[in-house]
Amino acid sequence: MLVRLTLWICKFIRWILVKMGRGGSLPGNIALKMCPSILSYIKYPEIVVMVSGTNGKTTTSNMIYEVLNKKYDKVIGNRRGDNMKAGIATLILANTKMNLCVKADAIVIEIDELNVPKVIDEVKVSQFVITNFFRDQLDRAGEMENIVSKIENALSKYQGELILNGDDPNVARLGYHRENTYYFSVGKNEESHQESKEASEGKFCFHCNAPLTYEYYQYSHIGKFHCPTCDFGNYEAYLCAKDISLNDSSFVVEERTFHAPQDALFSVYNCMAVISVAKRLQIDFELVATVLASFELKDGRMENFDIGRDCLLNLVKNPTGANETMKYIERDREAKDIVIVLNDNDQDGTDVSWIWDANFELIMQEDVKHIICSGLRAYDMALRLKYTNYEGEIIVKVDPDEAIKCLKDFDEHAYVIATYTALQPMRATLRRNA
Amino acid sequence: MILKVLWMYHDVMDLYGDKGNMRVLQKRCEDRGIEIVIDTCDRGENKVLSDYDILFIGGGADKEQSLLYEDLLARKEAILEALNQNTFILLICGGYQFFGKHYIDNNNQHIEGLGIFDYFTESNPNVGRCIGNIAIEANLDGEKINVVGFENHGGQSENVTTPFGRVLHGHGNQYKSEFEGFYNGQVLGTYMHGPLLPKNPEVADFVIRKGLQRNYGEVTLEKLDDSLELKAKEVMLKRMHVL
Repeated sequence: MLVRLTLWICKFIRWILVKMGRGGSLPGNIALKMCPSILSYIKYPEIVVMVSGTNGKTTTSNMIYEVLNKKYDKVIGNRRGDNMKAGIATLILANTKMNLCVKADAIVIEIDELNVPKVIDEVKVSQFVITNFFRDQLDRAGEMENIVSKIENALSKYQGELILNGDDPNVARLGYHRENTYYFSVGKNEESHQESKEASEGKFCFHCNAPLTYEYYQYSHIGKFHCPTCDFGNYEAYLCAKDISLNDSSFVVEERTFHAPQDALFSVYNCMAVISVAKRLQIDFELVATVLASFELKDGRMENFDIGRDCLLNLVKNPTGANETMKYIERDREAKDIVIVLNDNDQDGTDVSWIWDANFELIMQEDVKHIICSGLRAYDMALRLKYTNYEGEIIVKVDPDEAIKCLKDFDEHAYVIATYTALQPMRATLRRNA
Repeated sequence: MILKVLWMYHDVMDLYGDKGNMRVLQKRCEDRGIEIVIDTCDRGENKVLSDYDILFIGGGADKEQSLLYEDLLARKEAILEALNQNTFILLICGGYQFFGKHYIDNNNQHIEGLGIFDYFTESNPNVGRCIGNIAIEANLDGEKINVVGFENHGGQSENVTTPFGRVLHGHGNQYKSEFEGFYNGQVLGTYMHGPLLPKNPEVADFVIRKGLQRNYGEVTLEKLDDSLELKAKEVMLKRMHVL
């Protein structure tokens, strides 16, 4: 009775909010207050894909959504990144009929790492995808080890399939000696290297504490690793990308050529997660390839704006994401200007020391003409750049609007990277300047 | 002049952008024409600690930190010898805790420290984690300066008789405590990262002077343009209502 009453109230509040043109996770929040275990009473469709990890979860879950949407009539997902339990509850309950059945053929859920234990016991997940675990927002989430062990514990009762990045030791350990685990991997390519110079976690085997050895690194601690003293890392990949060419962002999986939406390795990894899910669900690779090649998220993730010239905006929130974005920018050999917006609100992480772990030396090239530092911690950012021996001009404009105004005075290629709370305001500013 | 720095466990104790501290020492020496050598020392690596003017240990993740404390304990004599030969030691967070008597972590695990100093650190689940921006008034051999940073530690350090500074905003050695860090003229231990040195150029230069002292005596450093450093510090001091 309480379950149905809660469901009805939740749907009613949601209906009012939609009428008012508003979204958000308030309905789910109220439902969880009224009946904390409501999600365990719901009858789920057979396909419930859940995606977590530090970087790439919004992009990956949206790509999975697009793929499933091509095959099934009705697919639902928290596509705008409401990825806490309340957001997930809002999504599910808003689409649940009064007989407690979800009215959808498939659900795609993006979930914040810390929320996994709160959700996985109650929602009947069929495929749980984990992209990667990097150092991220130490002040909010604590050390990475803390997050991984919480998820490890939460998985003890999980019955569904695990789809894991087999090249990330922090992720791969979740499938160690576990049934129903499918690893994806990306083969050696032009970007692979013998040494890692990037700050990373998980240098030691989770099982026996020996230092892990790598045949090669892709980026950060992602790469072909194994433990020299125990059997950690000796798994057989379910799918492996081969013949990777970053010039045209192509790669081959089981004889089929795919194109990643971006010419960057992290993008190939995101695609491999999607392709693995598709294979588990017996979805035709042809269909997957079409979706991947034309995928664009348009939510400040590698989003293009026309401000009189092309301007690419990307979200950056931790050292690895920043490094991969800078490698991407560096591939453009033309003269360019970069705006970096660094905020330290709760959602950004209040500790900005991570900018010293990120390798900003990557963009300290002659073709970077101006770097405009903006946001609440603009001066910290400028200081970080000062200590790279950058020879171009460092400009500080604390107000992001001023930063874009300043950017418009130049005429080189334009890039904007912004932390989480600066992203949506920056999109609005860039749209106004179109 | 030449300054020799040994960065211990650089690969493991690098949690909070601590490498920024090394970058700052390097640039501030180079800008003044002081030659600087920064060597690293990993677990099991054979380095003569007393050959160096400055030893530096940063903070690490709990698990990885616990994997190297035995290596550090085995170097106790070498560390004492370095102290004897006037090497200056800079310790952040985990490095700071290691030099005390012991550390009792969240799981009530007792980790023995080097015991070079009398302070000790214990986790106390009944008080909060010390986390957030911090400002202190540091006492650098009599010179009082404001120092800003970020702290994030569960361990409560007690029995510090000679702190690094007085807390103006934030927690310090213990939850809501009055004092932060440890400084005895030769060893500076602190929970302050951010990292510590970029926004506190006075501390960076102080560390350089202390390091040069053992071979060159009192040194006056050439002034550098620190306007950006001091502006970044001012923004944070204002935000913490210290200015």
